[in-house]
Amino acid sequence: MTEVLQLIISGAIQGMIYALIAFGYNLTFSTSKTINFSLGQIVMLGGVTGYILYIDMQSGQLSGLPFIVPLIGVLIIGALAGAVVHKTAVEPSLKFKSEYTWILATLAVGIIIKNGVEQLWSTGDFRMLSPLGDNVLRFGGVGVYAQEILIVIVSLAIVCGVEMFKRRTIYGKAIQAVSEDKATASLMGIPEKFVITISFMMSASIAAIAGLLVAPLTFVSASMGTVLGIKAYSVSIIGGLESGFGPLVGGLILGISETLTARYISTGYKEMPGFIFLIIVILFKPNGLFGKKIIKKV
Amino acid sequence: MKRNVILISLLCLAMFGCNKKSDEIKIGVYGPFSGGSAPMGVSMRNGAKLAVAEINAAGGVLGGKKLALIDRDDEAKNERGGQIMQELLEKENVIAVLGPANTGVANASTQYTNQKKIPQIINIAAGAKVNEFFAEGVDNYIFRIAASDDIQSKVIVGQALKRGAKKPALLCDDTNYGQNGREKMEKVLAAAGVKPVYIGKFKIKDTDMTAQLQEAKAAGADVILAYGIGPELAAVSNSMDRISWKVPMIGSWTLSMSNYTTNAGKNGNGTMMPQTFIESVATSPKQQAFLKAYLDQYKESPISSAVSAAQGYDSVYLLKLAIEQAQSTEGPKLKAALEDLSTPYEGLTGTYTKPFSSTDHEAIKEENVLLGMVQDGKIISSDK
Repeated sequence: MTEVLQLIISGAIQGMIYALIAFGYNLTFSTSKTINFSLGQIVMLGGVTGYILYIDMQSGQLSGLPFIVPLIGVLIIGALAGAVVHKTAVEPSLKFKSEYTWILATLAVGIIIKNGVEQLWSTGDFRMLSPLGDNVLRFGGVGVYAQEILIVIVSLAIVCGVEMFKRRTIYGKAIQAVSEDKATASLMGIPEKFVITISFMMSASIAAIAGLLVAPLTFVSASMGTVLGIKAYSVSIIGGLESGFGPLVGGLILGISETLTARYISTGYKEMPGFIFLIIVILFKPNGLFGKKIIKKV
Repeated sequence: MKRNVILISLLCLAMFGCNKKSDEIKIGVYGPFSGGSAPMGVSMRNGAKLAVAEINAAGGVLGGKKLALIDRDDEAKNERGGQIMQELLEKENVIAVLGPANTGVANASTQYTNQKKIPQIINIAAGAKVNEFFAEGVDNYIFRIAASDDIQSKVIVGQALKRGAKKPALLCDDTNYGQNGREKMEKVLAAAGVKPVYIGKFKIKDTDMTAQLQEAKAAGADVILAYGIGPELAAVSNSMDRISWKVPMIGSWTLSMSNYTTNAGKNGNGTMMPQTFIESVATSPKQQAFLKAYLDQYKESPISSAVSAAQGYDSVYLLKLAIEQAQSTEGPKLKAALEDLSTPYEGLTGTYTKPFSSTDHEAIKEENVLLGMVQDGKIISSDK
């Protein structure tokens, strides 16, 4: 029993990370109707920035700075990266009225970020220490890292916080309005472009924070974000790109199915059920499990 | 017209420049100098550079000719290995090649050295085809100074059984290297009449091995035999701690890499692996001198992959002995000399009297192999 519980908890935590990044995809999709495919690399940027500010690379020990420094650093880097992606990749593509240029443009920004980090920093794998210590806590035989509990708390807090912000505050309602109807929102005096830029900055900061959070569980490297980015993207699709809480459910489904498959079927197939499920969702509920039905008026 | 004259004179100058360089003997060296396998590649290159510097300082070879290393990063990518090898052979005209570290890279590139009849001494890749070429009937120019997977699996399985293990679980990465090792370990186990209770695999960059370990635990495994590279093997040890399961782990020599020892931390203690060189028991004057030179030059202690550094160093010296014996840098002559080295060589990884023959291109034999154990981030020697 503890074994199953351990697997479910491990999977759920992994799923929370996917969900957090997926939430980032959703945030920009709702305002700009584009998907920022460089988000996985921004996750990595967050992990690497956190590592540089928190760990002394030579000894692999703490550099002595309090955790608030990497935290703020990562938020700033994330917001900057989001603004840059929007200004350089998304805005020009949308100006050309091209439907798909932004796909290639955001992918390109992602590749540039990754290669840049490889060139300027390192191509190795490094271990990030958790600010809460790296010992395993035991709850009746189930081993959990303190960092993992932190991941769950922070992820839920971010998702709930942003949703509250969107639903309850005037600024949040501006974002909602832009996502409903750009033209009308603009006519109502909402600075549409500014709102979109802000949504990119928020989304990228969340992704960067996700990178900082997962870093102690994975290793920090220039390639740490690639797979996370892809999996989070499928979580977005499963949960629904227009949905706020959908990614949480999508993340849990993908994360738990991975660990259970790895244990009871084969580690070689661990990603299969999640992606099969993704295809089923696309076939039968193209807007995701919790997606709104979009009626396009022609 | 005037421009042509300038161009031609520049060309002559360039050719003259090349000619002048001809008293340099070029040796190609390739390996992963970036990525997860980088500790191996970089340490090997450092070791080889030290050897070349020593030889050049002592007057070079063949009456004063200097050795020059031409190094290329294969990024542990198979296809890069093939490209680099062609560049080294066709453009740089190297007389011999040293490296690489990754089995897949080696197998994607050794065909070119064989075709061009240029000797290649593999100084890390344990699973690469070497003696297998004899069976294929090709003129074999590939040599190795590294514990092959055959020898490693014998040592790993032998140690596990000697320590009373009855139910081994195999855990290997899904690369050529890991799967090759798994196959060989299974063979050795079968020969000893033992059947593994669980065979699992993992991918490069996987960080949570909980599922595999639980399956092994449920199957009643009493030892983990692992084959992979540093970061993922560290994840295996860390996940074992997570499910509070402690059985001995014995695995490929790569468990001595710094990216295993630092990433696994205290969870790595007690892990054992076959080694050809262990810093803490390197007491011969030659080994001591090497360690000191390495520290002076690269400011690194412990060396991030001491085995690779030592094998890199020794591979250069074996080649040097062959050049002197052949009194030539022609491929076939070098090959003949390597297969029949008349001077014994006291190296870092052992003393070699006729390390190669015309039917055996493996320098390291089972008795050369030491058993290393991780202890607080360092590799110590353990009883074999």
